[in-house]
Amino acid sequence: MAAILSQALTKTYRSRGTPLHRDTAVRALTDLSLEVHEGEVFGFLGPNGSGKSTTIRLLLGFLHATSGRAQVLGHDIATESEEIRRRTGYLPGGIAFHDSMTGDEQLRYLAALDGQPATLRDELIDRMQLSQRDLGRQIRDYSRGMRQKIGIVQAFQNDPELAILDEPTEGLDPLMQRSFYDILGDRKRNGRTIFFSSHILSEVERVCDRVAIVRAGELVALTDVAGLLSRRRRRVELRFSGEAPTLDGVPGISEVQLRDDVLACQLEGDPGPLLAALQGVAISDLLIEPARLEEAFMEYYAADAGVDASGGPGIQA
Amino acid sequence: MNLPLFRRTIAANAVRVVVIALGLMLMGIVMPLMYATFGKDLDSFVQTIPLFAQFSNFGGGDLFTLTGMVAMGFAHPFTLLLMGIMAVVFPALAIAGEREKGTLEVTLSRPISRHGLYATLFVAGLLFIMSLAAVLVATISLSIAAVGFADAVSLARFAQLWVADVLLFVAIMSLAFAASVESDRAGPAIGIPAVFVLLNYLAFAIGSIWPDASWLQDYSMFDLLKAKNVLDGGLAPGDVAVMVLFASVFIGIGWYRFPRRDLPAPA
Repeated sequence: MAAILSQALTKTYRSRGTPLHRDTAVRALTDLSLEVHEGEVFGFLGPNGSGKSTTIRLLLGFLHATSGRAQVLGHDIATESEEIRRRTGYLPGGIAFHDSMTGDEQLRYLAALDGQPATLRDELIDRMQLSQRDLGRQIRDYSRGMRQKIGIVQAFQNDPELAILDEPTEGLDPLMQRSFYDILGDRKRNGRTIFFSSHILSEVERVCDRVAIVRAGELVALTDVAGLLSRRRRRVELRFSGEAPTLDGVPGISEVQLRDDVLACQLEGDPGPLLAALQGVAISDLLIEPARLEEAFMEYYAADAGVDASGGPGIQA
Repeated sequence: MNLPLFRRTIAANAVRVVVIALGLMLMGIVMPLMYATFGKDLDSFVQTIPLFAQFSNFGGGDLFTLTGMVAMGFAHPFTLLLMGIMAVVFPALAIAGEREKGTLEVTLSRPISRHGLYATLFVAGLLFIMSLAAVLVATISLSIAAVGFADAVSLARFAQLWVADVLLFVAIMSLAFAASVESDRAGPAIGIPAVFVLLNYLAFAIGSIWPDASWLQDYSMFDLLKAKNVLDGGLAPGDVAVMVLFASVFIGIGWYRFPRRDLPAPA
């Protein structure tokens, strides 16, 4: 069974006009069809305003689909939203809490609303380095990073079958980001499914099994990260002594440039044929740049106006 | 009905309810005390000036009788302000305010239906209004007894007055909940019922002190309370029916609309 299965999910926001303003309709999501497998970490990528949060809010029943349908853990999002939320942990983007409560009171309150034991709370508190003193303070005194830590704990504390996370590492320092990735790894090893949206490509590349890329409300790619990266063109540079190696006709090699004792080229796919062709060559230095998801991502956005090689619309590498 | 949410709502509003209750107790004590201390003198003085005599009709008429003075306690702007905080501000903050802050999203990401949330908050609001109306009625009746007029009004009439007061503010609260459900921000959710209350109060006040505009009272929600009439002759079934109908309509609107509304990400 798929953890998430959507078919032609579409959301159009309509606002009623006034005598001075016309009716408006904005299509936030168009015909989104995707399947998230149980037990995988699935990244949902796109710049701000691309439809990531709309998708998440549709899956959790905050929004109603204009057309199409979806199931989460086998439950229909239109008719069984409560059951979906019973089995799902959720971390909204820019999470807000009741400021007058302490961190501990907030976590206990949300666990009570869940109606399930918070079996992972203590472990998560420990991993997020939240001290008892921190938890005893009112949330109004928390920094953004502290709030995010509480947000992560509340999303996972009852060990949900599926966690839906919207920009989960916003506000976390690098150390806490690492702890968070470790938590995701553990949850995955326990057979849990993670669906998270992000515009930080490095974290998606690091933790996700598969990614979907959305642009202007439309799915433009759905693929596994390893496969995506293996197909990326990478720059190869080698310094040699003696006779220059010949790379003509080597599978995956293109744009060969030779200057003095340095040979540069582009490698696509398996590096095996290249390494075979270099056998017997006296190589003093070899550089194969790692494939980056950023480049793959930028390729999908290259058609958009205003996208440059340094980043793109709201994307961080 | 969700018990953790109910307990949290009660706890979050406890201080507000206690402060309002203290204010209502003050009103409850002061009005009979004023009647006992200054009632006759004030009445004699006011009757000498026609304009003042006209103003003494405010709040249901005959301000310087015991029941008229008690009625004034229920119709006084201070009482209205205090009760209005629970009837208007509480519903606005409980849904639209929480939505604006982003905390509604965290609550609704739990296995709680929107109907469940609406019902829980409404029951909490009902409890607040019932408690505050009870504080006002109990304080007034105790104060009347303390100043030596215990036999002037029966306890049953006070019970009926409590019912009428609860019905009036539950009707207003129902409108406020419907506005709160329809709004993404607390401002409009407070503003719409507040304007409604203000217009009704103006109609009631102007109608009660200006004979040519007395017809305005018929269009005011506050005319349905008629505290003096309740104390003198009991609840009017027609008024009860109007208040129940009003509350039912707006409860129904909120109940129907809330699950159907889209809740986009807070701004």
